[in-house]
Amino acid sequence: MTAGTQKGFWPDRATTLAILAALVCAAPVFAVAWIALTGQSDDYLLHLAQTRLPVYLLYSVYVGLVAAGGAALIGTGLGWLIARTEFPGRKLFSWVLILPLAVPAYVAAYAWLDLSQAGGPLHSWTGGLFPTVRGGWGAGLMFALVLYPYIFLLARDAFTGQSADAYNAARTLGAGPLSAFWRTSLPMARPALAAGVALVMMESLADYGTVSYLGAPTLSIGLIRAWSGAGSLVDAARLSLILVAIALIVFSLERMQRRRARTTAASGKHKPAPRLELTGGTAMLATLACLTPLALGLVIPLARLAWLALNELPATGLIAAAFHSLTLASISALCAAILGMATAYALRGGRVMATLSARAAGLGYAVPGAVAAVGVIAILSGTQGLIDPAWQALTGSVFPILLTGGAAALIFAYLSRFAAAAIGPSEAALGRVTPALDGAARTLGASPRETLWRVHWPLIAAGVCSAGLLVFVEVLKELPATMILRPFNYDTLAIIAHNYAADERLGEAALPSLLIPLVALIPMIFVARYLSRTRTPSGTG
Amino acid sequence: MKSAKFLAVSGAIAGLLAACSPSTPEAGESTADAPRVVNVYSARHYRSDAAVYAAFTETTGIEINLIEASGDQLIERVRADGARSPADVIITVDAARLHRAEEAGLFAQTDFSEFTAGVPDYLVDPDGYWVGFAERSRVIAYSNLRVQPGEITAYEDLADPRWEGRVCVRESGNAYNQSLLASIIARSGEDAAEAWAAGIVNNMARPPQGGDITQIIGVAAGDCDVAITNHYYYALMTQSGDVANRAAAEAVTLLFPNQDSSGAHINISGAGIAVNAPHPDEARELIAFFFSDTAQRMFAEMTNEIPVMPDVEWENPTLEAMMPFVADERNVSELGDHNATAQRIFDRVGWQ
Repeated sequence: MTAGTQKGFWPDRATTLAILAALVCAAPVFAVAWIALTGQSDDYLLHLAQTRLPVYLLYSVYVGLVAAGGAALIGTGLGWLIARTEFPGRKLFSWVLILPLAVPAYVAAYAWLDLSQAGGPLHSWTGGLFPTVRGGWGAGLMFALVLYPYIFLLARDAFTGQSADAYNAARTLGAGPLSAFWRTSLPMARPALAAGVALVMMESLADYGTVSYLGAPTLSIGLIRAWSGAGSLVDAARLSLILVAIALIVFSLERMQRRRARTTAASGKHKPAPRLELTGGTAMLATLACLTPLALGLVIPLARLAWLALNELPATGLIAAAFHSLTLASISALCAAILGMATAYALRGGRVMATLSARAAGLGYAVPGAVAAVGVIAILSGTQGLIDPAWQALTGSVFPILLTGGAAALIFAYLSRFAAAAIGPSEAALGRVTPALDGAARTLGASPRETLWRVHWPLIAAGVCSAGLLVFVEVLKELPATMILRPFNYDTLAIIAHNYAADERLGEAALPSLLIPLVALIPMIFVARYLSRTRTPSGTG
Repeated sequence: MKSAKFLAVSGAIAGLLAACSPSTPEAGESTADAPRVVNVYSARHYRSDAAVYAAFTETTGIEINLIEASGDQLIERVRADGARSPADVIITVDAARLHRAEEAGLFAQTDFSEFTAGVPDYLVDPDGYWVGFAERSRVIAYSNLRVQPGEITAYEDLADPRWEGRVCVRESGNAYNQSLLASIIARSGEDAAEAWAAGIVNNMARPPQGGDITQIIGVAAGDCDVAITNHYYYALMTQSGDVANRAAAEAVTLLFPNQDSSGAHINISGAGIAVNAPHPDEARELIAFFFSDTAQRMFAEMTNEIPVMPDVEWENPTLEAMMPFVADERNVSELGDHNATAQRIFDRVGWQ
């Protein structure tokens, strides 16, 4: 992939794959836009604008900011601790800290509301002092606790890859460790952090289950109500265009951010900073800092469910469901990692098409899963409709139903939702591979392929694996698209967990909810082992 | 060579996609020697359903293929698949959703009378597109400590200023709340319904949060004095292995409202046969089975739903204690007629 050296009209391979990624990601959104623009009109939107729309918008901003702020704080802090310091358990935390991502936000919300509501254990034990986790801040907090791994992963890799020079220079010039971090390490990691924050924000805004349960009416509530209450899918599609617009703004800001901060040159020669050895009290504090989000996002909610589960019969069909979840998540993660890496390379080549593709790919994140799934259905049934005449001429019957109801449709939906999550980490990782490095390798006689495998891959492997992991975990817990698109008799863990939880049988939801992070552990262990075997100068292992 | 590798990669992706498409159960017509199947799209997702389906398969030899999702999602999938939809039976847990599926032209008109003898008329779609096979009622739970028996008797009372700051109820996006308001629109008209909803908002002890069980716990814990809930959530709590849940249920009394007037609000689990059903006979057999003694008994004993067949015997002390009660006998299809209006009223009065 000799991107960056020649620019022509025809896209190179990376750009071709990037365009494919963009098509996959953006197609459902375009289908939704099509439904919005061509559908019948009535006065529902006017009614909404006069009544609830301002509240929906305010809550969207509120929840989005709390989620992004909280996740940024947790993710950046932990990322720095893991990347730049040494304390007992650091290696283990480096992977375990991703696990809260495997907890669906609505599962955390069910558990926390149950614990903290009037009459709940936390409320009783503290004599009513512990606030009920609810409303905009409660929902934002839930998102921060389960989505911070997005930022953590990117921050960890960014801080690890940073050269020590700037930080050391700042220290030499008399800055304290915190100030040196604030003024050198953090600005250099900013593009990676911005990518994570954008994803957290969009995912919180597209969520339905958490905000409806905790009473934080964001725009996606309005959208689902337009569909389920007023019976107008068209108006739901129109409202989702507002979310698409918000996503476009958020992702543009993120891109601008990235352009302003060119970090390639600074980090090209790798002199990884020596880790700050933490001992005694500070080491304990660091361990505590790692344990707190793990406890709040993973252990406490799941323990509450498990406690309730002790009184219930175990759910059935879990092994098959776990297998389904694992299969879907692995295939999606692999595809997304490939598409993400290709997009990152295409972006490196600096073609306009590549930039457009990367932006379009972000759109998949903007639309609530339930609506995006409708877009997927529209595309698939439209395609079937196109095939029909030819098929009918050949065989005399309509084209058999292959597209909806197959796992391929599901994977299409997953990729369209989550491939964007794979672009950010790959791009951030590739940012560390300078053109000068390519030049050196080529001068020394390496073929492009050798350059890719022996120079690039070791540098970007951690980033690409992180990207795949993110998608893997996201697919494990994905709900609305799975529900509507899956084949017959095809339950996943997330679906079983949701079915019980939605029926207010929290105890029975416990076991499948517990299994989701356990299944997520499988690729994490695999990836961690692989990376520790690969010679990664970024040394994440 | 480069393009060969590219082809190989894309080929591998395509292969993976193809490999993971499981052989979908056949959508087409069943041949004589093939096993008989029925494809079910269900918005129910209770543990007991598996038992009901297993009993059906055992009795009839017909295998069940199942997809569970929300009513609106199922409707959209069947609609998009059109003539090639494999759906045979569509089941929802809200009459308004059945009504919507009917309006979308997804149901075939069916004569259900053969197996619904004795089922009250108000549970059967007057146009013959769908039928209710189990009832649920939306009722009031009040505190044993702070509310005297007889102090509240009707839904209409909940909007009275004397209950200001004392009512717990979940958010209005919930289908059961929409259908409750729809029933009030059907009974008293839009203006009265809006005044009622505004009164409830005014009387809320706290902004809506959680599900129906959350509201009952709220009453038990003293956050509020009365709550609106479906009857079976209360039953679920009394049968719970969790001591705290049982204690909360014991601290409240369940009241079936409007016993002297319109009767308690009723909603249904209902089903219809898809207009393009590839297995209409099997679909009919499944719906008939829902009215059998076996299935009706399972609904009463496993999900605390109220059986619709008059002479079925079942054992469930919790449910028995609630019976008998006067039900609202207005046809449940009217809930669908007024669903959209109900939603707008909720929006106007600011019921979150």
